[in-house]
Amino acid sequence: MTVPNSISIEEVISELKLVLDKKNILTEYEERFCYAYDATAIGDELYLPDVVVLPENTEQVAQIMKIANKYKVPVITRGAGTNLCGGCITLKNGIVIHTSKLNKILSIDKENLTCVVEAGAVVEKLQQEVEELGLFYPPDPSNLKVSTIGGSVALSSSGPRCFKYGGTKDYVLGLEVVTAKGEIINVGGNTVKNVTGYNLSQLFVGSEGTLGIVTKVTLKLVPLPESKQVMLVFFDSIDDAAMAVTDIISHKITPSTLDLMDQKTMDTVEQFHPTGLPTHYDAALVIEVDGIADTISVQAKQIEEICYKNNSKDVRIAKDKKEADEIWFARRSAFGAVARMKPNVITEDAVVPRDKIPQMVKAIRKIAEKYNLTVCTMGHAGDGNLHPNFSLDLRDHDEHERLEKAVEELFDAAIELGGTLSGEHGIGMSKARFMNKVASEEVLEYMRLIKNSFDPNNILNPGKILIK
Amino acid sequence: MKTLQDYSEDIYKCSKCGICLAACPVYEETGNEATLSRGFFTLLHGALNNKIPMNKLAKYLDYCTTCKACFDFCPSGISAEEIILAARSYFYEQGDVSAIKKSIVKIFNSTLMLKGLGASAGMYRALQGPFWMEQLGGLSSQLNLISNIVNGQTQEYIKYKPLLRVCDKKEINAVYFPGCINNYFNASVKNAAVMVCEKNGIDLHIKSGFACCGIPARSIGDVQSFINLAKHNIDQINLEKIDYLITDCATCGIVWDTYPEYLEGEYREKALLLAQKSINIYKFLTQFDIFMPNNIENNKIVTYHDPCHLKRGQKVNKEPREFLSAIPGIEFEEMKDSDRCCGASGLYFLAKSNISQSISKRKAENILNTNASIITTSCPSCKIGLSQGLSLYNKNLPVYQPVELLANNYLHSEGS
Repeated sequence: MTVPNSISIEEVISELKLVLDKKNILTEYEERFCYAYDATAIGDELYLPDVVVLPENTEQVAQIMKIANKYKVPVITRGAGTNLCGGCITLKNGIVIHTSKLNKILSIDKENLTCVVEAGAVVEKLQQEVEELGLFYPPDPSNLKVSTIGGSVALSSSGPRCFKYGGTKDYVLGLEVVTAKGEIINVGGNTVKNVTGYNLSQLFVGSEGTLGIVTKVTLKLVPLPESKQVMLVFFDSIDDAAMAVTDIISHKITPSTLDLMDQKTMDTVEQFHPTGLPTHYDAALVIEVDGIADTISVQAKQIEEICYKNNSKDVRIAKDKKEADEIWFARRSAFGAVARMKPNVITEDAVVPRDKIPQMVKAIRKIAEKYNLTVCTMGHAGDGNLHPNFSLDLRDHDEHERLEKAVEELFDAAIELGGTLSGEHGIGMSKARFMNKVASEEVLEYMRLIKNSFDPNNILNPGKILIK
Repeated sequence: MKTLQDYSEDIYKCSKCGICLAACPVYEETGNEATLSRGFFTLLHGALNNKIPMNKLAKYLDYCTTCKACFDFCPSGISAEEIILAARSYFYEQGDVSAIKKSIVKIFNSTLMLKGLGASAGMYRALQGPFWMEQLGGLSSQLNLISNIVNGQTQEYIKYKPLLRVCDKKEINAVYFPGCINNYFNASVKNAAVMVCEKNGIDLHIKSGFACCGIPARSIGDVQSFINLAKHNIDQINLEKIDYLITDCATCGIVWDTYPEYLEGEYREKALLLAQKSINIYKFLTQFDIFMPNNIENNKIVTYHDPCHLKRGQKVNKEPREFLSAIPGIEFEEMKDSDRCCGASGLYFLAKSNISQSISKRKAENILNTNASIITTSCPSCKIGLSQGLSLYNKNLPVYQPVELLANNYLHSEGS
């Protein structure tokens, strides 16, 4: 599917010049080099796009798609390029559509609790704007400072808060999509209830840019919780932490966050961003409850009791905003701390049924030990979603090979426990080869049928999710 | 001094997480990954591994305003500014620097040429240049922009006048480093600083021999000239008799802190000592109980812009606000994103005028959303960025340093 020869890419570019301003077409080798990567550590491989375009409106995206379809050139859509599955890597060269200039928040409807944004709108900016109006957009992927709504939709991303509130998929009401042929279609709508034929908007959610290019998104909002309370709870064993999680939920409490950090994670955070985290506990839970102030103070007390009952060694309830920020700082700086140990970090994203968390954590530790790898495990205990962060240097080919083996064993372990490959990072290029571990040949064939009917020429992010 | 090669591990360490996208004022305007830290590190890593010719990279690295904002966010703790400066010195050695930039920097490297330029600024004032420039500014928005920048840099708001001391003379050896603007173009801030200090019993020692701090040379990668200027400036100071080395220019301040990295032997020892003595004027003044005259009837709303080289460079941001808020007749109002780059960044506003102007406009928008009628900052370069942005909205609000406002109050209270 690569561009047949250099003449046709020049034709493509000259046609693009009729559609876009010169400054929005990047053709220099150096510029394209910058778009050969996203946040996925892919080592020395170089997949260079032929051209990068920065469209300023949907019509331009449609025109670009028409040109791409005419010449059968691959198109890869890129938001902030923060994904961890190689979603924006141009495996077969082609055109990168960068949504950096499609970043407007178009409207916020306070009466109907909805908003419409362009695909490149930044998650945190949207959250700030709606919060000023007393509204709330809960999905909180860890890079929300930069990650875009379009990227969130493409990967159906979520974050710590999604235990209570659900992920991106639970907030998408409607989409404006540019198809492989270059048509502009509107799927879904702007109502929370909507049963009118196939639920196409949900089909696009998580499709990683392989079915169409999302240009506008209508999102559901919820009222902003009145207040919140965060606490940090330490355990001598990960089993106790997992029991506490189950116990909290069985007491009919739904915290917004039930995150987990293991001993190595706390140790690493303390090494690089010291906030006084104890480093000798086996596990810690970051628990946040939100809602009406009176209710959450009662809930915080209940959670404290439950944790102590489950052998917690220390429960620290944030007394003020400063303490709350410190707890969240420790949790949020975990990735960065791992990144400081060695040059590269590979973050995996296995998900298991919640009660299998201890087994999964132990499996991760065993695998890391077997392959002599450094791993810090953190994640969302409430969702059974674990992020083992492997810290390594990909230039060390032996270490790289050991990692590859470890990752595969890790997925096998997750699947054996009734889980799957990815909770919130997506499949992209990194996990496409493992798809047959979790999906039967029939299921994969239906996926191919869907892909083929939306994108018969296989020009939309080819090589991702499904390997032909 | 570290070379680009010395930074190769730092460059490789970039995990490409993309957090710098949120911090970078340039990326906000270009939307182009090749103009921000993640892209720079990608490119530099490519060049250090022979995938890209290094000499192709200068034009991309030139997009950086060196505002340091991404460093605050970077999970891997990589300083883009340091790496970019190391790259620029490599490009300079290779001869990859434009002739125009070189000639502008030459002026700053030579005290004589600066004096000449300064004399023409004096001449400009004597011939009522500001007045005629304003008239000219009325003709078009572009001329208005130039007029505001030129007049902002040359018009002397505070003229020196000896004031009556309000307390006994303090036994402090304070050396004042005026910087090029104060020295040659417009002494208003220097006058104000000296007057405020004198009024409060502190005599500032002003050495006549100081040259430019060297930042223009360093920013184009001319390290040798930078080192020469550093040595020259260090030589002007009697190390036995110095408690404080005071700067009011954010950039001069940070440069004194970085001299040691570029020097060796005895000079390095001296530079280390002086880096410890170096202090921004607001941090210096807020240590004392500064006299505040109660003579002002009408309240003025004032806002403050954090220079990158002061807040992120020297961790000084509370002090100027504290100083301002204590001045009677001034009501302080914070602007949104007060520490976002103003867009001027030394010669950047000339070299990358379109992007610079877009960044300045965003800054001006935040200023105009306050009720402020006076803008303050602590950097002559930021003054250009602020005037530039405001001019683009056809607003000619004055931009001062906080010390100028207090000096003005002193002058009024003494009835002049």
